[in-house]
Amino acid sequence: MTSVIDTTALTKRFGSVTALHPLDLSVPAGSIFGVIGPNGAGKTTLMRLLLDVLRPTSGSATVLGASPRAGGPALRRQIGFLPGELRLEGRVTGRALLRHFADISGPVAPGTIDALADRLNLDLSRTVRTLSKGNKQKLGLVQAFMHEPRLLVLDEPTSGLDPLVQQEFLTMVREARSNGQTVFLSSHVLSEIQQVADSVAILRSGRLVSVSDVESLRVSAVRRVRVGITGSTPTLVRDTLSSLPHLTDLDVSDDAPSDGVPVRVAATIEGDIDPFIKLIARFSVADLAVEEPDLEESVLRLYSTPEVSDGV
Amino acid sequence: MASKPLPLFRRAIADSWRSMIGWSLGVMAALLLYLPLFPSIGGSPDMLELLDSLPPELVNAIGYDQIATGAGYTQSTFYGLIGFLLLTIAGTSWGTAAIAGDEETGSLELTLAHGVSRTQLVLERTAAVVVRLAWLGLLSALVVLALNDSAELGIEPAHAFAAAAALVGLTLLSATVAVVVGALTGRRLFATAAGAGVAVLGYALNAIANQSEDLDPLHAWSPYHWAYGARPLADGVDWGGLGLLYGISAALVLLAVVALNRRDVTG
Repeated sequence: MTSVIDTTALTKRFGSVTALHPLDLSVPAGSIFGVIGPNGAGKTTLMRLLLDVLRPTSGSATVLGASPRAGGPALRRQIGFLPGELRLEGRVTGRALLRHFADISGPVAPGTIDALADRLNLDLSRTVRTLSKGNKQKLGLVQAFMHEPRLLVLDEPTSGLDPLVQQEFLTMVREARSNGQTVFLSSHVLSEIQQVADSVAILRSGRLVSVSDVESLRVSAVRRVRVGITGSTPTLVRDTLSSLPHLTDLDVSDDAPSDGVPVRVAATIEGDIDPFIKLIARFSVADLAVEEPDLEESVLRLYSTPEVSDGV
Repeated sequence: MASKPLPLFRRAIADSWRSMIGWSLGVMAALLLYLPLFPSIGGSPDMLELLDSLPPELVNAIGYDQIATGAGYTQSTFYGLIGFLLLTIAGTSWGTAAIAGDEETGSLELTLAHGVSRTQLVLERTAAVVVRLAWLGLLSALVVLALNDSAELGIEPAHAFAAAAALVGLTLLSATVAVVVGALTGRRLFATAAGAGVAVLGYALNAIANQSEDLDPLHAWSPYHWAYGARPLADGVDWGGLGLLYGISAALVLLAVVALNRRDVTG
């Protein structure tokens, strides 16, 4: 498979601070590639290097077959970029601002801007500086998507968006993939990466901790579960569940009978959740809560030696 | 591939039309306030008496020694003082905004992530500053000529344009200094301080050099003197001075292009 982004020992230092340790990364064409990591992990630095906003201290990157510097404007016209700290100002309307961005990027098909604005529920007639953070973010998304670039580089794309718009955004990302476009996005919200990405890279303190495909992460996912059970005793529940592998932090209590649920169970499950569900099905389940798996925790458990790996 | 030419230039002009109305009104107001008073002030015996009673150092410093002629009066009040001040402030703030201001607000990153080169960005945005300053200069010449008869100034039409070209060149120097410092540092404060500093220093050097024959060589270092030393409003265009002002500005723009191309864009 050809790759759209390739980095070789890509390194960025700011003075004595190393923002990005030598990084080797490859993003396959036509995929959705997520980068997760806490703030300050180097996600933004990496993206700025890909767009030639920053210059590498050493190492190199290839984007769509060209180095970001040599590729210049012609390369960047094929990229849609949403910066992590999007700051849009000015007295112009959203439509005028987008028209300007259309002037300096690839050609935008007629009607595209309005269609995207409709999908994101964005009013283009309002002055940019009066827009809320969420609406500015929508403008940023429209300018990144509108010229249907071969590569989308999106830094924290869903920040400030309400849940409905987030879902619409994830749909847009999937459509882009089926369109043959490649999407490179970062987030510290793990669930949204998990929902769309084919592969996930984890950055921490400027180092690549791992690259995995999302399915294998899901298999190893760590979930917190809480169950309320009626018509049984804590001892019986505890005995039943303790036979399960990958179940930790098991806590069974019956000290709150006032709500009519005699037995409360809390536990952490690593990996497949199915055996647990099958086991508790023999009881009468009053309520059940399963937290979303924490991908970062999952991955850090998989690669339990932090701060070492330079890549996979 | 770009759909229309000069997208950054057009945006800079379009974004500033409101402030251009303000600056244009300021230039017109200053001229309309001062020039009609010439018959009653500049040539009046009372005024000459007052000037005689002032210390000659002061009169030389503010350049009021030629105030008895229409050209000298217009030069002293507008081109050498209020107009210089207005266009310096405008040029420095535009020059600062072109790179440093845009970088500090975080907008520069997004613009440069599109299909524009850094060279193109510096050139187009500086061109927008040139056009705006040139408009204010042209406007000043037109207002001077409109008032020429009623205010009994007796200024040669061609000389009014020569003075405007000197004013634009002088303030463009502050603007391009702000551009180049912005390109080098990305800091708004440094860019503005440098642009304004050049103007203040040039004015001060000129004022000091006016004091005596011994200090006259200092004139050579004052952009203010390059612009006005040959009295363009009275005697016509001074190509040498203009060449120096515009030439240095052009060199500064090239330096800004090189500087911005070589560094990281932050913020």
